[in-house]
Amino acid sequence: MLDIRSYEAMAKLDLPEQERAWAASGMNKLAKDFDALQDINTTGLEPLVSVLDIKNVLREDVAVKTISRATLLASAPEEYDGYFQVPKTL
Amino acid sequence: MVALENSIMVKDRPATAGSKILENFVSPFSAGVVDKLAESGITIADERASACEFGIPNLFEKEDADVRIPADSAICNDIFGVYRKHAAQSGHCYIHPTYGTVSRFGLISLAASMDQAGVFCKDAREGFKLLSAIAGHDERDGAMFPQKSYSYAPSAGAVKIGLPGFAHGLDFAGKLETTAVTLPHFEALKQVMYILFSGEFSNNVSRYDGIKFGFRAEGCRGVNDLYLKTRTQGFGAQTKLAAVTGSMVLSQEKYAPYYEQAMKIRRAVKDGLPFDKCDVIALPATLGGTHYDDMALYALPVLAGLPCLAFSAGGQGVQLIADIHNEQALLAAWEVLA
Repeated sequence: MLDIRSYEAMAKLDLPEQERAWAASGMNKLAKDFDALQDINTTGLEPLVSVLDIKNVLREDVAVKTISRATLLASAPEEYDGYFQVPKTL
Repeated sequence: MVALENSIMVKDRPATAGSKILENFVSPFSAGVVDKLAESGITIADERASACEFGIPNLFEKEDADVRIPADSAICNDIFGVYRKHAAQSGHCYIHPTYGTVSRFGLISLAASMDQAGVFCKDAREGFKLLSAIAGHDERDGAMFPQKSYSYAPSAGAVKIGLPGFAHGLDFAGKLETTAVTLPHFEALKQVMYILFSGEFSNNVSRYDGIKFGFRAEGCRGVNDLYLKTRTQGFGAQTKLAAVTGSMVLSQEKYAPYYEQAMKIRRAVKDGLPFDKCDVIALPATLGGTHYDDMALYALPVLAGLPCLAFSAGGQGVQLIADIHNEQALLAAWEVLA
């Protein structure tokens, strides 16, 4: 069975044991299926990142007013003195 | 009156994408499609359309997602085919437009290369009218065609349908000409789809950290504990599975054999489409398997950015898929078959 704890850590998750067993079983099935892709010859093919041939179209570099600090902070679970507040780190 | 999926942001209104992690989130701005609807004078329903958390169905289950459409039509983001399948089974239509024609600005991002708002509707003609109201360039979305507006009318002349081998059970009663076609790497599409989706998705959900918006777990000791508890308590099972699988396919060891290989197959699929032999490809709307088993059915429009129309044709659920910007062939075929 796949040990998924390192992948959990990368995804910033800490699954309870029962959920970890379920996810590991699912990922085991998926990984076996994913391995079958190795049988497909893709020599000479470039990876396709976007289906559009259009490149990112950038707007003029002109300052525009977007969302205010107050509006953004209004969505935060905790805010203090105009900043996002997090638990003590040290 | 049009309902919006709970993944589409409307200023000063909640947008949860069906997730606890966004349970307290109120949108600070409106999505591009909301602006377009307002320009056309179309009223937005208070109630939201919904299916499952972040649009991900129970991968290894056969049970249909709990799709709710509280108005005659709705605008949704359908990556895994839950709305297409529901439309075909309930006598409705779902239009997935060409990628890059409808703004993704303000659409809660799942997988940027696949996200595309589409239209759930009772009648494809009305649905395409609604699509023309929301389609058109938006400078706030960096991956759009420059065309400012779209209008959709049925193409002239008979539409030829391409039938892949496994779809020969579909019967169009001689109403339209059919021809056999081959879809490149169809047997690998479910893997390609889930590898690429989970990789992009795991990056996108990294924004849910319990700090800037949305749900925050209680009793956290330090920032790392805050991340872990918030995300573990805030995400549902399928979201966690996709996020952890995404971490795997993007890991140093698995990137080349899984993620890069899937991107190369995606190119082969796009380059090998049989539109030199047919105008539209027909696929069943379901095969009756688990959501993962049937994923290949829904993958082609999403992976190749193609327009697709799902509906019921003579009692059989069908998806018609056309080449980029050939929505008119879908409408022409629907007028004959529906």
